Amino acid sequence: MADLVIRNLHANIADTDTEILKGIDLEMSRGEIHAIMGPNGSGKSTLSHVLMGHPGYEVTAGEVLFMGEDLLELEADERSRAGLFLSFQYPFAVPGVTVANFIRMAVNAHRKGGPEGEDDPIRIPEFRKQLQEAMELLEIDKSMSSRSLNEGFSGGEKKRFEILQMAMLKPSIAILDETDSGLDIDALRIVSGGINQLVGPDMGALIITHYQRILDHVKPDRIHVLMDGRIVRSGGPELAHELESSGYAGIAEEVSA
Amino acid sequence: MSAWLAERRDLAAQSNALLPVPTLSDEHWRFTSLRGIDFDAFRAVEAPAPGEIAGAILAAGDHAGRVVVRDGGAVVDELSEAAAAQGVAFGSLRRLAEERPELVEPLLGTIVGYDEKFAAENGALWTDGVLLHVPAGVKVAEPFHVAYEIATEGAAQQWRALIVVEEGAEATLVEEHLSGLPGYANGVAEVQVGVAGHLTYVVVQDRCDAALHFAAHRAEIAKDGLLDWAACSTGARTGKTRMETRLTGEGATGRLSGVYVVDDKRHLDLDTTQEHDAPNAVSDLAFKGVLLDEARSVWRGVIRVAEGAQGTDSYQENRNLLLSSKARADSIPGLEIDTNDVRCTHGATAGPVDPMLRFYLMSRGVPAAEAERVIVEGFLEEALERIPDERIRVALTEHVMRRIPS
Repeated sequence: MADLVIRNLHANIADTDTEILKGIDLEMSRGEIHAIMGPNGSGKSTLSHVLMGHPGYEVTAGEVLFMGEDLLELEADERSRAGLFLSFQYPFAVPGVTVANFIRMAVNAHRKGGPEGEDDPIRIPEFRKQLQEAMELLEIDKSMSSRSLNEGFSGGEKKRFEILQMAMLKPSIAILDETDSGLDIDALRIVSGGINQLVGPDMGALIITHYQRILDHVKPDRIHVLMDGRIVRSGGPELAHELESSGYAGIAEEVSA
Repeated sequence: MSAWLAERRDLAAQSNALLPVPTLSDEHWRFTSLRGIDFDAFRAVEAPAPGEIAGAILAAGDHAGRVVVRDGGAVVDELSEAAAAQGVAFGSLRRLAEERPELVEPLLGTIVGYDEKFAAENGALWTDGVLLHVPAGVKVAEPFHVAYEIATEGAAQQWRALIVVEEGAEATLVEEHLSGLPGYANGVAEVQVGVAGHLTYVVVQDRCDAALHFAAHRAEIAKDGLLDWAACSTGARTGKTRMETRLTGEGATGRLSGVYVVDDKRHLDLDTTQEHDAPNAVSDLAFKGVLLDEARSVWRGVIRVAEGAQGTDSYQENRNLLLSSKARADSIPGLEIDTNDVRCTHGATAGPVDPMLRFYLMSRGVPAAEAERVIVEGFLEEALERIPDERIRVALTEHVMRRIPS
């Protein structure tokens, strides 16, 4: 069985009848890069949020298995510790908590595991070394680690710090929600380089994007086109180029035809 | 008692006799009811038991001087030889009003007058407190420490402080208010920072949940002077604190930081002013509160810019985290500006922990309860990090976080 199995996933905005996801099916595993492309409002971000356990949505039907576990039964923190990661489209500022302290807390939560797990905090020199290596990979200035996370950061900096967290938490599957938006060319190259270095036998990536721009740097194995809450087309990397020429409108016509 | 002091007490007593106990219809008492409080039930305790204090948060480490006022009188009254040799006067106000009247008489009752009920009562009835007088040019690195403690059930503690940092002088005063027993505290602190003087003033109010705490602190800052003032409140059943800053000289700076954690059914009322009477002065107030259970806080802050105070730069913010649906925080910012060319801004918020922020932390593997705690700590950290002394900052952070249930 694949590491992530999504079957007939339906989700509403919490406490409403507004259905955003209308039956999603998708399978992927570590070592693979999948891309979900779609126009604005197609449900891309909702899918990433629902997978991570965002409180603003409720799943009304379907199932998600992650590393063989029923993902939907888990709280967001448990999903993270099980090996799922979400790089947020709009990361939150965490006032008063430095980048280093925030990431160390997350690393230690992962080392501890479940609520009954044993405390096994990472030794600080070891943590510093790992953090420094990851910051070098993403070309982040060392002095940034003592700033409050995301507070006053530019859009591009926030995205880099999402990938920094991913590098430190080493998830099995990382969902990258519009990670390319807000990045200039250089930042896109750096962030893509980081993603490419991290994806491998132990990690897969689900890239959610509006444009194929990032896919020139991070080569997907599979592309899925999401429209109106459903995956309407799946294919190889060539699908991105087809989209590039015909646009989402072209696909829409084809699907309704 | 010296004639001048008796006269001043008499003046205050006359005012006290005329002033009624404030009610909700008084502007400054709109949110704090005194109904049901029998002030006559508390009595002065003139002969307190000696001995060290328990429960102080910032008493550890070396100090340039220490005073403990228990109930009605000082039971510890110490000044380091080094500070004494520098010409610093520090110790029991009752003692020093007699021994060093030249330092007390010119100022006592001139910064906080007798035109308000509690201040008038205090002016008539104060029994002891502290004098800190740092002469011009003298810099004292180690902090001075004063603790005001209620140690007798039903005691009325009328404390008074006079704090003077003269021209170019520097000092740190830490003031703690404690009580393990029900009682009534009413105090006045008069603070004067001289030309290019620098005072760090840390006030911690951690009285027990059966105590009543009323205090009026008022500071005047002369030209190029700096007052770095941090107030931390975690105690008392009902607390009402005035924290007033008047910038009297050009280029004066007041940095006013507040942190409070209020739980149970406690009621905390903070009344602040930033009074700009001179040009190009800066005042920056940041108060952050966490409310639990059925607790209630009120912050009322006014920025006053007098005519002629051009180039004023003044800021005030009050942010509150409500950790219970029954907790409540009211913020009443106010601007009274009588001149042009000023920059005055304010902000106030009250609300629960942002569920999206909590989700963000949880998405990194942090369990919900820990995520909430980290958010609260980070929230308070923004005010605490303004405290310059690291030892004090760390101790206060630990102290306030102990009040947040895990």
